[in-house]
Amino acid sequence: MARWGMVIDLGKCTGCQSCSVACKAENNVPHGSPEEHENRQAPFWHKVISVSSGEYPTVKTDLIPMPCMHCDDAPCVTVCPAQATYRREDGIVIQDFRRCIGCKYCIVACPYGARSFNYKEPDDEDYHRPDPPPERADRGIWPFPHRVHGVVEKCTFCFHRIDKAVKEGKKVGEEVLPACAEACPAHAISFGDLDDPESRVALLLASRQWLRLREEMGTSPKVFYLPG
Amino acid sequence: MDSRKSGSSRIRQSRLSGMSRRTFIKIAALAGAAVAATRIFGRPVLGSAVYSPEPPGGEGIITEKWVPTSCLNCATRCATRVRVVNGRAVKVTGNPLSKVSEGENCARAHVGLQVLYDPARITTPLKRTNPAKGRGIDPGWTEISWEQALNEVSGKLKALREKAQPERLLLFSGLNTVSAEDILRRFADVYGTPNLISSDGLNNEADKAGEWMADGHYTQSAYDLEHTNYILSFGASILESYKPLARGLRMWGKIRRERPIRAKVVVIDPRYSVTALRSDQWVPINPGTDGALALAIAHVIISEGLYDADFIKNWTHGFDEYRKLALDYYAPDTVSAITGIPPDTIRNLAREFATTKPAIAWRGRGATSWPNGSYTGYAIFCLNGLVGSIDIPGGVTYQENPPYHPMPDPAEDDISAAGKSRPALDLRKTGSFPAAEVVTNQVADSILEKKPYPVEIALGFNSNFNMSAPGAGRWDEALGRVPYYVHAAPFISEMAEYADIFLPSTTFMEEWAYDHSPPGSGFAEVRIKQPVVEPLYNTMSVCDIIIRLGLGLAGVVAEDSIGIGGTAERFVRYRTETLMSWEELKEKGVWVGPAYEYYKYDRIFKTPSGKFEFRSGNLESLLKEQGEEINSLTGLPYYRNAEFMGDSGDYPLLLSTYQPLLNIENGSQNYPWAQEMFLVMHGAGWTNFAEINSKTAQNLKIKDGDTVWVESPFNKIKAKARVFEGIHPGVVSIASGQGHRAYGEWARGIGVNPNEIIGVDYDRLSGQSACFNTRVRVYRA
Repeated sequence: MARWGMVIDLGKCTGCQSCSVACKAENNVPHGSPEEHENRQAPFWHKVISVSSGEYPTVKTDLIPMPCMHCDDAPCVTVCPAQATYRREDGIVIQDFRRCIGCKYCIVACPYGARSFNYKEPDDEDYHRPDPPPERADRGIWPFPHRVHGVVEKCTFCFHRIDKAVKEGKKVGEEVLPACAEACPAHAISFGDLDDPESRVALLLASRQWLRLREEMGTSPKVFYLPG
Repeated sequence: MDSRKSGSSRIRQSRLSGMSRRTFIKIAALAGAAVAATRIFGRPVLGSAVYSPEPPGGEGIITEKWVPTSCLNCATRCATRVRVVNGRAVKVTGNPLSKVSEGENCARAHVGLQVLYDPARITTPLKRTNPAKGRGIDPGWTEISWEQALNEVSGKLKALREKAQPERLLLFSGLNTVSAEDILRRFADVYGTPNLISSDGLNNEADKAGEWMADGHYTQSAYDLEHTNYILSFGASILESYKPLARGLRMWGKIRRERPIRAKVVVIDPRYSVTALRSDQWVPINPGTDGALALAIAHVIISEGLYDADFIKNWTHGFDEYRKLALDYYAPDTVSAITGIPPDTIRNLAREFATTKPAIAWRGRGATSWPNGSYTGYAIFCLNGLVGSIDIPGGVTYQENPPYHPMPDPAEDDISAAGKSRPALDLRKTGSFPAAEVVTNQVADSILEKKPYPVEIALGFNSNFNMSAPGAGRWDEALGRVPYYVHAAPFISEMAEYADIFLPSTTFMEEWAYDHSPPGSGFAEVRIKQPVVEPLYNTMSVCDIIIRLGLGLAGVVAEDSIGIGGTAERFVRYRTETLMSWEELKEKGVWVGPAYEYYKYDRIFKTPSGKFEFRSGNLESLLKEQGEEINSLTGLPYYRNAEFMGDSGDYPLLLSTYQPLLNIENGSQNYPWAQEMFLVMHGAGWTNFAEINSKTAQNLKIKDGDTVWVESPFNKIKAKARVFEGIHPGVVSIASGQGHRAYGEWARGIGVNPNEIIGVDYDRLSGQSACFNTRVRVYRA
C-alpha cells in the first residue's frame, strides 16, 4: 500500500495561486463573498498563505501553498465524535459529509487551518454561481456531486484521481497528479508514494533539506516543503 | 438563468432522495446506538476504492470533449485545452503542444470559466434611450436586434465617410485577439482614419522606445529566460504581470531548481513585489531613479574593465561617448544619493551582473512609466549591450513573427488615402510626442479640445480607458462629448455606459480567432481560438462585428470585408493556411515555428550604423527631421532628475500602483475566484489597500485597517490602509483592478481605483503615460 505525500518546492513556487484556483474548479468548491471573506468563512480546500517577518528594508515574506497536510497522526481524526473524518490505509485523511454532524471540533483541532465549514445554503443564490460540474469521467467519479450545507469540508489529495489511476495501473505522481500539482506552471508541487524510494517525492526529500509545518505539534504531516 | 435553476433543483433533488444529515441524526437517535448507523450506511462510504456503481443524482456524462483553444485573460494569450461535459465548459488546462509556456497556464486561465459563465454578460444588442450621459446616469438600455444595431451603426459610418471626413471616426481597442487587432487595423486603413487607439500607450511604450534607441526595434524585449544565469530586474513584475506571464512562471521553476546552475535574481523596486519576495535580493530604490542606477552600474563595469570588449569593438557604436557619460557623471557615490542605494550595493550589483554570464538587465513599467521613461529604458537596455547579452543564449533575443498568410492588398479609394494622411488625434509623431506610435491618454484631451478636429463617431472594442487610464475622470467627460459612441464587449464596462449602441461580443471561449504572445519566446508560435461551446447568447465575435459593419458600408470598405473572407472563421482560416492544414490546426490548437537562431549580428540591428548604438542615431535623425535641436547629450542614455506632480510640502508621499496576477486584464473583475485570492501578498481578497510603510504610518498616526483618504492635487479616494513593511517609506501603493462602478455584483463597489487620483503626464518621446509620479497625502478619514 502506498503512502501518498506531497512535496512543495518554495524555491520554485511563484505565488501565482494557480493551485488554489485549479482546486476550486476541480472540486467544485464554492467561492466566498466579501462578507464571508472578512469573517474567514469562505471555503478553501487549498490556499496560498503569506507569512512575514522583519522590518523594512529587510522584510522577509514567504508564500506557502497549503493543501490539507494529511497528517499521519491527525488531530482532526482523534477529536471527531462522529468518526466522520478518518485516515485511509494509503494515508489520505478523508471527510465523510454524510457522517459529519457539523460540530467543527476538527476545525478547532487542526493546527493548519486546512478545514472549511460550509455555511452555504444550497438554495441561497446570492453569491452562488452555478458552479461547473467537476471532473469525473477521466479522473474517477467525483464523490461529492452536491455541496452539503452545515458540514466540514477539506482537501482530499484529489483521491478520485488517484484511486482511478491506481485501478487502471497508471503511475501516480507521473501520469496522474492532484489538480493543484497538475496546474502548477513552475512545477513546484510533486506528488507520490513516500514509501517508494524511487518516487519523485522520495528522491526530492533525499536530495534537499526539507521542513514540515508545525513539526512540534507531533502531527507527522505528509506535505513537505523545500525551502526557497 | 436556466443553468442556475437546474443547479439548485439538482441540490434539492438530492436532499429529498438521499438521506440528509438531520435525518441521519434522527435515525441514529431512534436506534439509540451508532451501530444502527453503521448498518444503514455500510461504511466506509467515502474514500474507499469501491464506488457506488451509479453516478449519483443522474449526472452521468453524455458527451465529453477536450477543445484546444487559447486564453484571453491577458495579452499572453496562452494555449489552453478546455474540457466540455454535456455542452458545458468545466475545466481549463494548458496545451502540452505549446512551447512558449511549455504547456502551462497561470491562474488567469482557470478564471476563463467564470468569464464565460459570468452572469453580468450582456445577452443581446442594446440601444440607449436616455440622451444624457455621465457617471452614474442610467443609459436606459432597450433591447434591439443585431440587424437594427448594425444597420444603424453602418448607416452612421457611411454618412460620415460620404462627407469625406473619415478621420473623425475614432476607434478604441482594448485587449483583443491578434486577429481582431489585424482586422481592426485594416478597417481603419480602408475606412480612412488614422485614429486607431490601443491601450498600449498606458502600458509599455517607453520600454519599446528604449530598445528602439539602441537597436531600432520598437518593441518590448524578448528575454531568453530559459538560459540565463542572472536577472537584474528594474521594476519588472516578472511573476505577476510581465508578459508572456505563463512562460515567466514556467521558466522561473526551471532556472531556479531544474538545472545545475541556479539563476540569481535581483529585483530593484520601491515595493516588495511577489517577484522581489521570490528573488535572491530585493533592492528598494527611490522611485523614478532607475536610469541613474543603470548608469552607475555602467560606471562600475566600465571603470573595472568588466565589459564585453569583443562585442563592443565589433558590434556597437558610440561607446566612447557612453563611456565618458558614465564615468564623468555617474559614480556610485553620486548615484547613491539619488537612488538611496548604498554605493557598495551598486558596486556589487555591477560586478555580479558583468561577471555572471549570461545576464539580463530587464526593464519594466515600474522603471519606465515615467517622464523620460524612454531614456530610462534605454539606459537599462544598454547594460545588456555592455556585457554582450545581445542575441545570445540567455540574453536579449529578437522575437520572430509568425508567418501568417499575408492579407490581400487593401481596397482603398481617395477618401481612405486623404483621411489616413490627416494628423492623428493622439498627436503621435509630432513635436509633442516625437517617437510615439500611440498616445492613448492624450485622446481624452483631444476629444475635449476638438483638436486637431472634432470626433463624430467612436467605436470601442473591449476598451475601458475610463478605468485604466490615469486621470480616469477626463475620459468620462470626453466620452460624454462624443456625439455617437458604440461599444462592443461581452459586458458593460465603465466606458460602455457612454454608448449609444452596445454590441455584445462573445467571450474568447465562443469565437474564432488566432493569437500569439508578446515578445518573450524568441521563436514564433500561433494558437487558434475556436468555440468550445456554442455562443451562450445572442452575441457576435469582435472580428465578425467589424466585418459585418464593413459589409454594411458598401463601396471599398465592403469590398475589403469580403476580400478578407467575409466571416471571422474564414478570415482565421485564410491567415493560418500557411502554417498547417485547417483540420490539423483545429485539432492541435498550436503551431510552433522553427527553433530560435542566435547571433544574427550582421542583420539584427536596424540603426544608421547597423550596430548596437550607445548613442542613438535613430533618435537623433528623428528629432532632426522634426526640426528639434540636438546637443551632445540628446542621443545618449543620460538620466534627468525624476519629475513629480504636486508640491512635496503639501503632498509628501508618492503614489504607486501595481498589477496583481489576479487582476484579470479583460477589464472586468467580476470573477469570484480572482476576487477572493486577489492580493496573495496580504492574504486578502475582495478589496485593495493603500499600502503604507510602518514608520510612515506611525508618523501619520494611521493603523492597519484604518479608512484613509489618499489625496493628490487632482482628486481623492477613500481606501483601507494596510501597514506594510515591504514598501519604501516615501511611497503609498495601491493595487490596480478594483474600484469598478460597472460590471456585475462581484466587481462593483469593491476597492478603489488609483487612476482616479493620478495626474496626467507622459514620457515625451514615446507618449507612454507616466503612472508613478503623482504626489499624494494620506490621512485618516
